[in-house]
Amino acid sequence: MSKLAIPSLHQALRKSFTNLESNQKVWKSVLAECSPLMVSLGNLAEQSRALSNVQISNTPLRDFPDLEDRLRFKLSHATDVVLGKLNEKMSSLQSVKDSISNQASGVLQLYEQNADSLDMAAVTERSATTPSVVDMLEWLQDAERHYRQQLLRRKYLLQMLRADDLSSLESAPHRWKSLDSPDAEDRITDTLCKVSFFMESQ
Amino acid sequence: MTPLRLLSEDPSDRGSQRCRLGPGMMSALGLSLGSPLLVSVPGGSCLCTAWPRSDLAESFLQMDLKCVSPSLTSQVPTQVDVDPGQFTPVSCPKLKGVKITVVVQTADFKKQTPVRLVHEFVKDMLKGVHVHKGYVVNLEDFDTEIRYAVIESINPDDSNAGLITSKTGVEILGIQTARHYRNQLQGERAVQLGGLEEVSASLKEMLQLPLLYPSTLNSLGVSCPRGVLLVGPPGVGKTVLVHRVVWEVGASLVVVRGPEVVGSRPGESEEKLRAVFERARSAAEEGPCVLFLDELDSLCPRRTGSSAPENRLVAQLLTLMDGINQSDRFLIVGATNRPDSLDPALRRPGRFDREVIIGPPTLQQRKAILSVLCDRVPVCPSVNMAELAQTTTGYVGADLSALCREAAMHAIRENSKGSGEQVVGMKHFQEALKSVRPSCLRSSLGRTELTPVSWEQIGGLDEVKLKLRQSIEWPMRYPEAFLRLGLCRPRGVLLCGPPGCAKTTLVKAAATSSHCAFLSVSGADLYSPYVGDSEKALAQLFRQARACSPCLLFLDEIDTVIGSRSSSQTPNSVQTRLLSVLLNEMDGVGLKTLERRGTEKILLAEGAEENHPKEELDCQEVCNKDVMVVAATNRPDCLDSALLRPGRLDHIIYVPPPDQQARLAILKVCTQSMPVGADVCLEELATKTDLYSGADLENLCKEAALLALQDENMEASEIKHTHFLRSLSNMCPSLTAQQIHTYHTAHR
Repeated sequence: MSKLAIPSLHQALRKSFTNLESNQKVWKSVLAECSPLMVSLGNLAEQSRALSNVQISNTPLRDFPDLEDRLRFKLSHATDVVLGKLNEKMSSLQSVKDSISNQASGVLQLYEQNADSLDMAAVTERSATTPSVVDMLEWLQDAERHYRQQLLRRKYLLQMLRADDLSSLESAPHRWKSLDSPDAEDRITDTLCKVSFFMESQ
Repeated sequence: MTPLRLLSEDPSDRGSQRCRLGPGMMSALGLSLGSPLLVSVPGGSCLCTAWPRSDLAESFLQMDLKCVSPSLTSQVPTQVDVDPGQFTPVSCPKLKGVKITVVVQTADFKKQTPVRLVHEFVKDMLKGVHVHKGYVVNLEDFDTEIRYAVIESINPDDSNAGLITSKTGVEILGIQTARHYRNQLQGERAVQLGGLEEVSASLKEMLQLPLLYPSTLNSLGVSCPRGVLLVGPPGVGKTVLVHRVVWEVGASLVVVRGPEVVGSRPGESEEKLRAVFERARSAAEEGPCVLFLDELDSLCPRRTGSSAPENRLVAQLLTLMDGINQSDRFLIVGATNRPDSLDPALRRPGRFDREVIIGPPTLQQRKAILSVLCDRVPVCPSVNMAELAQTTTGYVGADLSALCREAAMHAIRENSKGSGEQVVGMKHFQEALKSVRPSCLRSSLGRTELTPVSWEQIGGLDEVKLKLRQSIEWPMRYPEAFLRLGLCRPRGVLLCGPPGCAKTTLVKAAATSSHCAFLSVSGADLYSPYVGDSEKALAQLFRQARACSPCLLFLDEIDTVIGSRSSSQTPNSVQTRLLSVLLNEMDGVGLKTLERRGTEKILLAEGAEENHPKEELDCQEVCNKDVMVVAATNRPDCLDSALLRPGRLDHIIYVPPPDQQARLAILKVCTQSMPVGADVCLEELATKTDLYSGADLENLCKEAALLALQDENMEASEIKHTHFLRSLSNMCPSLTAQQIHTYHTAHR
């Protein structure tokens, strides 16, 4: 019985890791697109700050009517546009995460269906080319958890931004950057390396 | 199966809810990958999913504390062994719905973030987590302001645990700040408190009334009290009381310790004080809150001079207390043991509305405290708490807890010598009583170490002993009998009689037998070169004596300490002033408010069941709250007549020089420890020693013994009759017939 379950599990795992690999690339590229947007968000905040610091009536620009209000409107409009773009990016990140989550839970479900026929020895059996089922499930879950955390933290950062809190807007690009955790990304890359032989051994 | 060593979790497992076991253990428990498992560790339990260790090693356990019982959120168990019996596999069906309370880090976040947003995040965070009813899900690994989710109930509720999926409905019942939540958890380990029920009830009422009936109070148009000042000597439990009440009400507590607030830079202290009030205000928004100012006298001393830095701090505190709106629903509790050094502006309604005086515990309160303290100590059933409470007059709560600790230490020391079961018996308490003295009497000037003297050690004087017992021992032992006959106990006793007739020894014996605190004072203690100092010392002495009543205050040689107004040449001497203090203290208008103890208990007329032991204690408590003054003099004619009237020193006991029978008894007592020859006839000696006082007789025996040594060159083994006779011929009595005659006439 276990003879039958293991290959099908392996097959599912292979599929998930392929999926993970492609998703990782998508995630990276989307994030790369986000960072200039964040920088421009910070710039806009800085401009707003400068606008509130200056007394337009003391400058040669005082002849323009309603200049401050107009500028402010323009800036907030631009901020809105940037945030809208960021939101689009977030939804594509969300779809990446959803796909990874679905894969991970699908594999675990497949395992659970066959759990009765698989004893511990079978699932913990490793070889030089093939990591054990336990390890691979674990890596998959770890990756899923990492993306979930990343997505939530970034979403949280964006949701907590408020137009009247300029300092938080200004620091947003910096905080966005600090959310990157290269360690965890590396771990996922490592994982993909570890399973590369397994994926090739169709 | 061997117990597993609990190790701290792997960093990469953080937030995964995994519990790492050896694969062998997992097979033995019948677990598959990711099976939910309830692990009980000391201090709580944790719900996690089983997963084999990556190195496949057995005998270790690592778990991620994602979903734990509330007690585990603050303390993480380390270095413990977990028995495999502590693992319980649980079934976790997919949940339809779950109701949670969200705990967030700051009050700002709670205020500014819409619930919808919190809901969205929490739902995302909880996805895929196995939860247990009543447990807390730790969400700290997401690094947001949302810290915990407390699972209040789950649907379907036929099992205790379940899995949250994307289809599970999450309902937020409330949002709390982490500080408030932690306070609530901490309260579960609050201390026990004995004997302060009345005070704690009134404090509780002040805290709860505005919360329970806000509309009633509004419609009445009254503002509820917002400040309480607790006054009492050190160690009576002011701080403990506040902690206890706060716990019982479920309020949050903001503590300010005086010295913590004071900073070095100008304005720093005021700033800190304002921050504290701000903290209390934000805490009050979530529920009842108490701002506790401990050691208020250091924070808010009496303002002096013009520009002392404390003045500004005091002024800041006053304005802050005035600035509390009716909407700020927090209570300010101050505690001090030196209320007189507080700024008077603080002690008015509107700031500290109420002043609660906690005096040294009375007999009943001591009993209550002792039973609370001994609750966890394995006390031998023979230990009588009432008896112990009676012997510990003047002990405050802190002293009593030291006493119990000391007694337990004695028990441990004894047990370490021989093996036996660990119980604390009465003898251990008795041992401890010797080393732990009441702190009320510490540094008191009348405190004396008393060598116990029993009545039997005084020969003769049976009539005097009986009278002394009547006036000192009986009111303490049989208060109900006194009450039945409408007797009140005497305020004072004067022993007068010729010198050397055992007046002082009699008082010692009375103090020994009555088990009450004993203070003795002489002229040397009282006199001081400064004007007014002696009077102050005497008043202080009475105050301390009242604090540890029932108390025996002994004034030896009262004629020299306190003179008479009629006979003295200078009408305004120290003696007369001391006399006026003494008269006032013994029979004055009343006590100072600060000396209040316990509640005002008035015995209802003729209690029906007097045999009831509790009522007996009540009786004792009510009847024996005064200080008994015992004075001794050999010149009763020198005393002021005001002192001798009933109500002050109302029992005047004449201690006569011993008659023949008494002399025989005294001689017997004196020769008890001497090897007396067979030919010695004490009766003959008694007849021959007319006009000898007790001290003379003792001296006679000593002289005889010395003569015996002189005659037989240090090898004397017994004292012969001739020695007594020879020493008798060498001595003359110290009393004269005329002296005795004057005493007799004066006494009649």
